[in-house]
Amino acid sequence: MNDSHARCLRAFVRRLSALLMFRGAVRWAAAWFYLWGVVVLAARVAGAGGASWLVLGLLGSIPVAVIAAGVVWRRQPAFNTLRAEYDRLNGCGGVVMSEEWGDMAAWQSRIPMPALPRLQWRSAGAMGSLGLSALFVAGALLLPERLTMVADGGRLEVGQLVEELRAEVKILEEEQLLEEEKAAELEEQLERLKEESSGLDPNRTWEALDHLQQANSDLARQAGEEALAKMSALTRSEVLTSALQAAAEAGLGEETATRAARDLAGMLEAAKFEEGLIDLELPEDLLSELEGLDQESMARLLKSIQFNKERLGKLAGKLAQLKLIDAELLAACEKAGKCPNTEGLAAFLCESGGDCDSFSALAASYGRGGINRGRGDAPMAWTDPSAEEGAKFKEEILPPAMRWSDAQLMGVSRAAPDQSGDDVVVEHGALAGARGAGGAAHSQTVLPRHQMAVRQFFAREE
Amino acid sequence: MTEPSAILTPEEMEPAVGLVRKVLDQLDRILLGRKELHRLVFIGILSKGHVLLEGLPGLGKTALVRTVGQILRLQFKRIQFTPDLMPGDVLGTHILQETGSGQRELVFQPGPVFTNLLLADEINRASPKTQSALLETMQENSVTLLGTTRPLPQPFFVLASQNPIELEGTYPLPEAQIDRFLFRLLFDQVDAEVLDRIISERRRGELPAADWQMGPAELEQLYRTMDRIYLPRPVARYIARLVSATHPGGAEAIEAVTRYVSYGASPRAAIAIAEAARGHALIHGRPSAGFEDVQAVAQPVLNHRLILNYQARFDRISATQLVRDLIGRLDETGLKLPGDVRVGTAMKS
Repeated sequence: MNDSHARCLRAFVRRLSALLMFRGAVRWAAAWFYLWGVVVLAARVAGAGGASWLVLGLLGSIPVAVIAAGVVWRRQPAFNTLRAEYDRLNGCGGVVMSEEWGDMAAWQSRIPMPALPRLQWRSAGAMGSLGLSALFVAGALLLPERLTMVADGGRLEVGQLVEELRAEVKILEEEQLLEEEKAAELEEQLERLKEESSGLDPNRTWEALDHLQQANSDLARQAGEEALAKMSALTRSEVLTSALQAAAEAGLGEETATRAARDLAGMLEAAKFEEGLIDLELPEDLLSELEGLDQESMARLLKSIQFNKERLGKLAGKLAQLKLIDAELLAACEKAGKCPNTEGLAAFLCESGGDCDSFSALAASYGRGGINRGRGDAPMAWTDPSAEEGAKFKEEILPPAMRWSDAQLMGVSRAAPDQSGDDVVVEHGALAGARGAGGAAHSQTVLPRHQMAVRQFFAREE
Repeated sequence: MTEPSAILTPEEMEPAVGLVRKVLDQLDRILLGRKELHRLVFIGILSKGHVLLEGLPGLGKTALVRTVGQILRLQFKRIQFTPDLMPGDVLGTHILQETGSGQRELVFQPGPVFTNLLLADEINRASPKTQSALLETMQENSVTLLGTTRPLPQPFFVLASQNPIELEGTYPLPEAQIDRFLFRLLFDQVDAEVLDRIISERRRGELPAADWQMGPAELEQLYRTMDRIYLPRPVARYIARLVSATHPGGAEAIEAVTRYVSYGASPRAAIAIAEAARGHALIHGRPSAGFEDVQAVAQPVLNHRLILNYQARFDRISATQLVRDLIGRLDETGLKLPGDVRVGTAMKS
């Protein structure tokens, strides 16, 4: 056969094969994208894994396309068929086809000139399908989480929150802030919420969980505030007890000691440690015979007070760890539990305890000094004054003062200032926003050089 | 199918092409205005097939056959078929003769069928019995009478004619016989220009004599060349698919075939197309038959072989129209490309 015909035929076969392979690769890749998009959607709805391995699935289109090209290559039309098609399209009258039987080189000048058949692929459909499938995958990957949650009609991921709430209930139950029956009921309620949580109606679940969380938080805050109050009372009692103990050793008068012990008993009774959520235990025998406390009894009382303080501190720590109370309340609790140096109070009791009216008030104010030393009628403090160093005042931006440079000269006249009928509104200070009543409440600024004129204007004849 | 020993070279083919050209030139010169028809008739002769000529009276059917016989220097006989024509009038008969010794014996008197070129004029006017007398002659090229088979002279062609409009007193050709015709060629009216030439150049319509005639050796040479025309496998496959598609249950039958055709073409039709395609390739000077050769001869080969149903008659659908649709719809190479991929006509670079 004519060499040019042979070359043309080979080019035709090559181009057609390449076109079919490319077409197959595009179609298979589109199918893969569609399939992968469905997998992505299903995985996201089922809540399986993150999106990283799903993105990796996009790379799967490459081997799929290669495999598709291979499959198409294997299924491509037989060479004889393509040669016949080439013969037909070139109008060779079977001469090119006859190559299967013998050499047709002698006929090369008698058949039409070789021409490459035109290949046409209407690719709009396939390419459009590929684009749509890619968009589908991208949409499946980028779909907002809430939409996939909606699609998940039976599951709502609340397990972690339920576990946290369960831990809170357990702590509250351990600390006897919550009754056993109530705790069991809450446990059951949490379990039911976990089982019945639905993605189709998440509000119901979230509201129930929020309610439980709020209830726990309220209970814990109440307990925290109660712990703070009882800690403060215990601290005052501890201060007075320690001072009395030290003063007794230093030779405190009997009368003063008796009055002080009575005040201590009153303090302990007023604190009502047995009431409220947190039931503190103090020895009953000591409380009933507090007026005649000896050193040993005072030591037992002090030990009991310290034990209860320690218990309250642990409770506050646990609640703060579960974030049931905020750090501020925990810090206040810890601060309330710190005792000042009681030696000064003991010395004061020894020296002038007899003049003191109320030992409980003395214990309450002891160590409560501040940088302003308090008001004039504030109780005296016997500690060292607080250092101003490091103290930080609350910054406040003051309104800008009126400056003369901003003043506008309206005119100079010997007549009295003309008061306009418009209401004058004070812009700054405590009266900001207040309207003047007929101008009487408004004070005009009188320049120094006008003071004499004003004085003469208002001068009364004697 | 007998494969040729080797592909014809241009040098080997050139004499045969020259002979073909001379024959066609003579035909075109003697008979005006029917070049395409002349080629098909000559393809029929090259294919050793019989041709059924269908057309109105006076269109030159007899003249064509006579001219062919004259150019090819073949013995020519004509039978005018009539309703009372008997088989013996066609094939011949035994007559009682007295020999030189005074004895009497039956002597076979050959009929007009014993010739090279037989014109069966108005063949559909004879009774089926007489028409059937030609069955053996057309297929076997022999005549059997009283147990004796007598071969016909070779080559033997039947060129029959029939009138398509005068149907009264006619007998349609039986399917078995009509299938034996290689071609059914339709004689159309010639245009005014040709008529003008006929009137101007032919006194009383008399045909000019052939100034060149082909001898038997040359005809034999043409047949030898025909045998070496190569039929490629894809082309043979196309012929097979085409004939198969004429059957209502064929794998590639179009909807019209399924609807209007009762019976499709026979294997004899496939053979006829293959042979005729070779003849067409020879006429065009090619050593092999291509798809265009098949398409050129498929219409006259198939149009009398499709048996249409009554639905086709009601809808005025002709076999010619069906065959044309079929050729137009059937992919030549069977190249099954996806629907969105097309291979177009080659562009010259």
